[in-house]
Amino acid sequence: MDRTMGDSSRTEAGKAVAIWGAGAAAFAKSAAVARITLRQMMFYKTDFLLRCAFLLMILYVFSQLWSAAYGGGETGSVAGFTLKQLLWYLVFTEALTLAAPPICSRIEQEVKNGDVAMRLVRPISYVLYHYASFLAEAALRFAIHLLAGSLVVWPIVGAPNFGYGWAALLSLSLGALTVTFLMAAAIGLCAFWIEETRGLEFVLQKLQFTLGGMLLPIDLMPDWLQRICAWLPFRAAMYLPARAAVHSGGDHLLRDLGVQAVWLAVLGAIVAVIFRRGAVKLHVNGG
Amino acid sequence: MSTGDSGGLRAIAAFLGTCWKINLASALEYRLSFALLAGMMFINNFIWLFFWNLFFSRFPIVQGWELRDVMLMWAIGAGGFGWVNLLFGNFTRIATIVSTGELDLYLAQPKPVLLHVLASRMSITAAGDFVFGLVIFAWVGERTLLGALAFALGLLLAGLLFLGVMLHVGCLAFFIGNSEGIAQQALGSFVSLSTYPSSIFKGAARAMLFSLIPAGFISYLPIGLLKHFDPWFVTAAIAATALIGGSGIALFRFGLKRYASGNLIAARS
Repeated sequence: MDRTMGDSSRTEAGKAVAIWGAGAAAFAKSAAVARITLRQMMFYKTDFLLRCAFLLMILYVFSQLWSAAYGGGETGSVAGFTLKQLLWYLVFTEALTLAAPPICSRIEQEVKNGDVAMRLVRPISYVLYHYASFLAEAALRFAIHLLAGSLVVWPIVGAPNFGYGWAALLSLSLGALTVTFLMAAAIGLCAFWIEETRGLEFVLQKLQFTLGGMLLPIDLMPDWLQRICAWLPFRAAMYLPARAAVHSGGDHLLRDLGVQAVWLAVLGAIVAVIFRRGAVKLHVNGG
Repeated sequence: MSTGDSGGLRAIAAFLGTCWKINLASALEYRLSFALLAGMMFINNFIWLFFWNLFFSRFPIVQGWELRDVMLMWAIGAGGFGWVNLLFGNFTRIATIVSTGELDLYLAQPKPVLLHVLASRMSITAAGDFVFGLVIFAWVGERTLLGALAFALGLLLAGLLFLGVMLHVGCLAFFIGNSEGIAQQALGSFVSLSTYPSSIFKGAARAMLFSLIPAGFISYLPIGLLKHFDPWFVTAAIAATALIGGSGIALFRFGLKRYASGNLIAARS
């Protein structure tokens, strides 16, 4: 009896060690992929500059549009947003949006040209590989875009003195980028069945732009739409971190983190199912 | 016009007709994909209008612009971009074609090089843009013969402006080498600038939109051409379109003289 219990506890301990070891190995591999991605990015400085130029242009357009809408008044408030809060909100949502690499097109290309077969035989999960690469690229881009966006908005409405809002922004940005990755990966993996996912990607992007609150904070939308947005994952990817930042608040931070956690679980499960089913039906000829 | 000229024009028209017929047949080979892509682009544009609808529900009039004006701006912008991308689908790829040496393929054939390059591709998603433009005009536009003619002129000017601007940007590849990234960003920026009311811009930015970056000529069409016909604006828009188109063609010819083959073996795509 004692021996049986001892064997059982040793087996349990062995399993725990094995799981811990697998997790640590996956983390080490992901960190290596992230390092390689960052090194690769250093070779594409022109691409960075061009993206920043686009960000500067679009933020300038937004600043003109919203200044005109607010009638140039910097003190008035619409749905709890002053012009200053609104323009900085747009800096944060734009920085998050433009931070995301085109993961959907990359997966689609790999499926279409057969490169996916090369990735599948590597000793790292296909989705995890792309996630590590995505996150490394997105984190660097996000930081640079925040700086670039500040160049436009700071002179117009003043410094981003949001206090704890910055901590809230950083806390929620990891979850936000992960939600963005999972949504794009789910669409990209549809290439296993339909090959051409560009159209679906367009629609996903535009849903993020509108229902995600990139162009317009959800608070400014009609009540009926706010209620719909509350049940969709898009707001977790942009609205939650940007709103938390400009409202300087950790008031709803735990609730917002909880919302992101729920969507991460749901979308993670969807991506896992799509990937498993897609990989089973994959046929690659030649090599 | 001499008989030789008219014969040449007829030959070019026949050549273009054949290009477009082949492009369409090629696009329709994958009908489901064609319908999906065009449909998605239609929805994509519609989502932008949804944003504007939300915006104007908060701020009903901004610098004299109302929701209907913005809808017509999108109808002209998307419709103009759509027709030019359907008929001359390579206009967004000139930089790529030049910098990769794909141009060799067109140089070796006895047809006008620029026209051949432009008409050799049809953008499938553009069908969605074009139909979107027509649907929005039918929805909120002035449904009279005069209104339809003005809208058609708007589509023509917008499409030719997109073409002329991208021709200039694409020709950069003759002088600085690989400029695909610049061309993509320039296209994105120009399309963005032409889909926001021009009246929100003041001072130097506004002047730039009607000169160096002529997106203002597209975005102001719903006001200056459709809502309150302004002969000065329309004349300026036509002159700007002709100037940009003409200088784009001249720049392409000049660049062609500097072009060095990359010895690339390529097929038409």
